[in-house]
Amino acid sequence: MTTVQAAALGGGEVIEADNGKFRVVVITERCKECGICISVCPTKVLVKGPRANSRGYRYPIPERIDKCIGCRMCEWSCPDFAIYVERVGDR
Amino acid sequence: MKRIRKHPLDGLLRPERLPHLWCPGCGLGIALGAILRAVKKRIEEGYLRREKIAFIGGIGCSARASLYVDFDSAHTVHGRAIPFATGLKAVKPDMKVIVIGGDGDIAGIGGNHLMHAARRNIDLLVIMMNNMVYAMTGGQLAPTTPTGLYTTTTPYGNPERPINVVKLVATMGANYVARASVTHPPLIERYVYKALGKKGFAFIEIISTCPEVFGRHIGMRDAVDLLNALRERVVVKQRPHIDESYYEWEGGKFVLGEYVDKDDPSYLERIGVIKG
Amino acid sequence: MMARVEFINANLAIAEGVMTAGLRFFAGYPITPTSDLFEYLAVELPKRGGVVIQFEDEIASINAVIGASWGGAPAMTATSGPGFSLMLEGLSFAIMTETPLLLAYIMRADPSTGVPTKSTQADVFQARYGAHGNYEIPALVPWSAQEAYELGAKALWLAERLRVPTILLSDATLAHTFERVEFVPVRRAERKRPKVPPEEYRPYEPEDDLVPPMASFGEGYNVMVESLTHDERGYYAPTNEAHRKLIWRLVEKVRRNWRLIHDTKTYFMEGAEVAIYAYGSTARAAYAAVKELRRENLRIGLIRPTALWPFIDEDLKNAVGSARRVFVVENNIGLMYKEVARALRDREVISVPIIDLDLPTPEQIIEVVKEWRR
Repeated sequence: MTTVQAAALGGGEVIEADNGKFRVVVITERCKECGICISVCPTKVLVKGPRANSRGYRYPIPERIDKCIGCRMCEWSCPDFAIYVERVGDR
Repeated sequence: MKRIRKHPLDGLLRPERLPHLWCPGCGLGIALGAILRAVKKRIEEGYLRREKIAFIGGIGCSARASLYVDFDSAHTVHGRAIPFATGLKAVKPDMKVIVIGGDGDIAGIGGNHLMHAARRNIDLLVIMMNNMVYAMTGGQLAPTTPTGLYTTTTPYGNPERPINVVKLVATMGANYVARASVTHPPLIERYVYKALGKKGFAFIEIISTCPEVFGRHIGMRDAVDLLNALRERVVVKQRPHIDESYYEWEGGKFVLGEYVDKDDPSYLERIGVIKG
Repeated sequence: MMARVEFINANLAIAEGVMTAGLRFFAGYPITPTSDLFEYLAVELPKRGGVVIQFEDEIASINAVIGASWGGAPAMTATSGPGFSLMLEGLSFAIMTETPLLLAYIMRADPSTGVPTKSTQADVFQARYGAHGNYEIPALVPWSAQEAYELGAKALWLAERLRVPTILLSDATLAHTFERVEFVPVRRAERKRPKVPPEEYRPYEPEDDLVPPMASFGEGYNVMVESLTHDERGYYAPTNEAHRKLIWRLVEKVRRNWRLIHDTKTYFMEGAEVAIYAYGSTARAAYAAVKELRRENLRIGLIRPTALWPFIDEDLKNAVGSARRVFVVENNIGLMYKEVARALRDREVISVPIIDLDLPTPEQIIEVVKEWRR
């Protein structure tokens, strides 16, 4: 699990993790803790994290990144543009 | 070294206006993402040019989408996005004009304009996000609210049947009529991608979840619960018949699919503004 | 080369005037006594590369005109009382978004359905105050078919120049009166274009004249048309600071540029002791009355505004000169009278409301003036 600054987004933490094939990135400041991404992930990669963003919402963390198959259901089901998936080696 | 992370759609959004005002778990954000993915594909393949795309919204939660997209966009008045879009398209026929609105805006107060635009087969893509309630103003009855449900203006239960907008628009002769749902984002993307390539009037109804208002009214305020409840009621069909398009919440189904896909001459073709 | 001359009514004259000024889009709905203006444009405008669309109602029409204007086209609609009432929300939208458009309002006897084929001047305040909100908009008022041609063109030019919806007030009497019209050259209607690249452009950032340059859709400026109160970018800004700033600029934009709008005509006002203030078709009768009264040695003149709004006290005072008594003659219950009386508090201002389905007669006006002479 790596944590990097999202400089392009005016501050706020970006959480990311990859399993060598796929990387899941969470833009924490945009999350509203709706829980949809966690529920739609077919391999249960995501869990609700312990920390909250500046609005008080607890964003998900890709704790079981090893299980990620890169299906993107989290990215497509997130209403807030707060999570996305990319192939490792894309950036 | 700091790595910059950008959401794949940030280039098409006004990221300084995010997070958007939609409630946690609101289906509108899911739909907007799918719409923008389709638009992005059309731009990347060279079919559409970025500066030739416009988003027009009326008033309501859904229409706020026009505030978040980094294109020529308009936040017009309640129910009147379609005429605005028609006027724009008539003088700028090379633009791709996309109307995004809610069910109340497009089919309620804007119903007359929707009907005539479809009949006219004017070259527009109209996307109606249907969360079956007037959400922005706190949960009043919408023409799309299923029978029997509580709303703040039908506290004893809705005595009306919901309007079948898919059937209405199909009857008026639109070139493309489809229904999608926020439970199936890739379907939204596929239909929007296709509709962007159609001439004439293209209409997509996206059944959406409003946990904060609609969900709360039926005792399902949790976003995941409401999404799952909708998922149970949704059926995807390849070429559904128009007679299957009516829906109810209790005991009914939302049949998703492409109901109409044809290529009748469009309004602008007929008046000679664009070539057939 | 001599300008073309035709024998037409004020509606057709308006159509010719706006086409000469560069109209490219008309949207409308049939309504008496306006329909022949629409029908004429339906035939002529496409020949000049423009588009005419009949919509399902007036609400669609005004909103389509706004959309077309943002597409870069000088655009207009035309209607009468019942239709104008339907267009009011759209008008407020155009005001808030600073959308150039021309709204030709051919007044007919009202309220409600009234007498569709007959005349009135009852809606002169509705033209100014009908739309919701704080604002000023220009309203021009011709008295003849010739002037309808010229002021139609001027109104379209003003709309584009000031980025503001502009009303052209006519009436059923003018619409039904055929007169000689010379199609004189007119100024081309066009808006100020952005002078900076798209990244620096702000759609609601004014220049010194309080008018923001206007980019059109489809040019890469990613314009935001916003009906909510907004800042220079068009982003929602519900703060006192931003809202007040916007409101006062919308108002001052029109008021400070009044010299572009007003062209008040005066007849026989040199040394006049008494004046008649009249506008539109009523001024035709007032003019005849003034000439007759002068034959009877009354030192009376006529003040005829060609713009009713914004009401400019200074302009009126200049026109009144040293006259001590002013009769405001109008085909309504006494509306512009209120503004004239307020502006000329130090003079005697008398309301002469003559409701007539066609137009007040010179005899009726002369009788009132003479009553006061005693």
